[in-house]
Amino acid sequence: MQFSALRQLTAFALSTLVWGVYAAPTVTRLTPPSELFTSGQAAPVIARFLPGQRFDLQATLRPDDKAKSISEARFAIDGKPVNGNVALKVCETGCLKGVPANATLASVRAVSVDKPGLHQLTVTATQSDGQTVTANGNFEIVPLVPGGQKVKNIIILLGDGMGAAQRTAARIVAGGYAQGKVITPLAMDTFPVTGMIKTASLNSVVTDSAPGMTAYVSGNKNNNNEEGVFPDDTTDPFDNPRIEYLSEYLHRTQGKALGIVTTADVFDATPAGNAVHTSSRGAGTGIVDQFLDDRDLTGLTVLMGGGRKWFMPSTTPGSARSDRSDYAFSATDAHTADIVKRWGASAGALDKDRDLLSDFQRAGFQYASDKATMDALDGDKTERLLGLFAHSNMNVALDKIDGRRNKARGVTGRVVDDYGFPDQPMLDEMTAKALRVLDRQKKGFVLMVEGASIDKQAHAMDTERWMLDTLEFDRAVALAQAYAAQRKDTLVIITADHECAGVALIGGSKVSDARLQTLVREGSGTALRDAVVGVYEQAGFPKYRIAADGYPDTVDIDNRLLVGYGANSDRLEDFRTNDRPLQDSQQPFVKKEPLAAYPAGPMARDAEGKYMVTGQVPGDSAVHTATDIPLSAFGPGAYSFTGVIDNTDVFFKLAQAATRGVVEPAGLRLKH
Amino acid sequence: MVCALRAIALTLSATLAWSALAQTDTTTSAPPSLPTLALRLQDFFQMPFGPKGLMISDRLHQAHGRRVRITGYVVEQEVATLGQFLLSPRPVLMSQHADGEADDLPAATLFVRLDAQQQDWAVAHARGLVEVTGILDVGRQEERDGRISWFRLQLTPEAIHSMNQVEITQYLHSLRHTH
Repeated sequence: MQFSALRQLTAFALSTLVWGVYAAPTVTRLTPPSELFTSGQAAPVIARFLPGQRFDLQATLRPDDKAKSISEARFAIDGKPVNGNVALKVCETGCLKGVPANATLASVRAVSVDKPGLHQLTVTATQSDGQTVTANGNFEIVPLVPGGQKVKNIIILLGDGMGAAQRTAARIVAGGYAQGKVITPLAMDTFPVTGMIKTASLNSVVTDSAPGMTAYVSGNKNNNNEEGVFPDDTTDPFDNPRIEYLSEYLHRTQGKALGIVTTADVFDATPAGNAVHTSSRGAGTGIVDQFLDDRDLTGLTVLMGGGRKWFMPSTTPGSARSDRSDYAFSATDAHTADIVKRWGASAGALDKDRDLLSDFQRAGFQYASDKATMDALDGDKTERLLGLFAHSNMNVALDKIDGRRNKARGVTGRVVDDYGFPDQPMLDEMTAKALRVLDRQKKGFVLMVEGASIDKQAHAMDTERWMLDTLEFDRAVALAQAYAAQRKDTLVIITADHECAGVALIGGSKVSDARLQTLVREGSGTALRDAVVGVYEQAGFPKYRIAADGYPDTVDIDNRLLVGYGANSDRLEDFRTNDRPLQDSQQPFVKKEPLAAYPAGPMARDAEGKYMVTGQVPGDSAVHTATDIPLSAFGPGAYSFTGVIDNTDVFFKLAQAATRGVVEPAGLRLKH
Repeated sequence: MVCALRAIALTLSATLAWSALAQTDTTTSAPPSLPTLALRLQDFFQMPFGPKGLMISDRLHQAHGRRVRITGYVVEQEVATLGQFLLSPRPVLMSQHADGEADDLPAATLFVRLDAQQQDWAVAHARGLVEVTGILDVGRQEERDGRISWFRLQLTPEAIHSMNQVEITQYLHSLRHTH
């Protein structure tokens, strides 16, 4: 009994102690994110901004009892109160699961700090019973220093998923080797400066394309799937704390224009990650609306790619517009009303029946629906340009080139015919037109050009398709380089957002393509691998013949380049180009239509050879990897991009070159 | 664990069911007076597409509400939607985690619905062409996952059956040893 009483007494004492410690409101999130808030450590500094760059402050505040509420919150930077309305949103509705209904989000929108250096952010909240809580975080304002020549134009060429191996593969295919020396280098190989980029996102060592892009153009880490925002505790994908993009900063301070060119659907993460603020990269209707509606913030002047499905009213067949993927900010609730008021952003509207294509045209955008109409536009007289060349993603380079060569790999003929868009431009052709239009901008421009399907085809482990998309991308690189070389006021960087699929060039085929086909037909499984894969000197130097259009006349050459995947799902491999006629005798319908030519996926194609490569990741797709990626630079300011640098560093180097002039990295300076 | 195994079993069952569909017309709720109409996915729209929207073909409009037979490829999805699968005129691998709705789905993609009693069934990918028969529904509809469908085909419950352990073993074997 005595022991039991003692135990009860101890339990009471502990509960009193716990109550004493926790009986107060708490701060569960403080934005911008910091290690000071999360772990109590002052370093590393997570959030960094330019002097004057705008960003939102936000704190999630939880009362200590469900009967209480948060009555007030104040933010201070270095002890000085932050100017601006503190909007309070109570989590009765619209917050994440697990967030109490009386939790409150306090926000101040569009704050900026001019003074360089490390700053302390403090939030102080008062509960309805008068108790208060204070929490601290930190962020840094990166100084801009006087430099040399100011860069007028910035061109960011982003090969999505393009790691070092993808670049090497493109070089071998396009340029060829002779006795160990490259015969014709890639354009990207001729850039004078190359560095390595660390690609982690805010919440993973393996980034996806959204934070992979936004790190370059906001200077900050975002969570995977999020674009130009910090994470929050609400379910609304458009109300997150914002970070001002490079395009917005340079448009606001210098009047520069923004151009976006991609082979993907224009709502995809990389293009959207230059102009749109959302925590859901899939919120297509809102994303494309924001492109147009916030053009006064971003200076959007050129937008080209696929994605017509988002631009048609919901009543038009094929339209993907829905109110569920759209946004509308409140006119009265300061939580989102302040985004409109303080950022000058559009309030948006739930308008699935909007004819966005017509709205773009009314806003002065010339519209190109295919290559012919794009070519017909006089770039020198085009003020703004919208090009939508496909329903969603554009077809990949191999299929577009096959289309131009009238090669029928498709169902109804060419693959581009299957998709209903037989006249799609190549990426370099779109880039050329974009440069012509943007060249009229007296105050300069930021142009982002994305080779999107290097990544998408690497996910599918479709070797020849990502190889040719890398060649297509390099042709756009060559154009940008020539433009910069002629103008001498344009900084060009080419990089990726991450590597995809763990691509490795494992060697070359030991056999001719005819022999390879025989081996495949024999279906010898692992023996196929042993007969084909040549390693070390057996690989030799694969020789692809480049046709007049700049692409291999065939990718099914003798002694071809062979690729392995380190981040692969299970797949069947026969080392030959996919979408060749392939019939599956297991299906009773296979004889009914010419459609039988198509394989369906990595476990459905290449079945005849019976060689299965066991995956190292689950599912059907290869995945992104955390591997560092190369970045090459050309033009004034290029020498800033050396070393092994964080993806967010790129933003500050670009901004330095465009605002205060190019500087030589300290480590390169010689003592006199 | 039990749930996971059940899901796998149900997933695999669909593959065999499609073979059955080729041989038997399992649809029962179609208008009795009209014969089953054979349609091709590539004939859903007037091709090539115009500069703005798409135009649904007259043939497809006329097939609305009819019992139709369509051949196509089951879209290979990284994240399967319960109770349905997608049928496309060409094979497509969707890396939804990486690409979301920035996809390579042709506009003429058919949403094939399982019976109401089978809405918790996840349908696996099947190789090659498959043929499905059911009632066609044409028009805009928002799906549970947020996608917009324009064409749906309702299957009967007999279209899908559960796979026993032997069938599961054979199916798994067939994935790795095609012969």
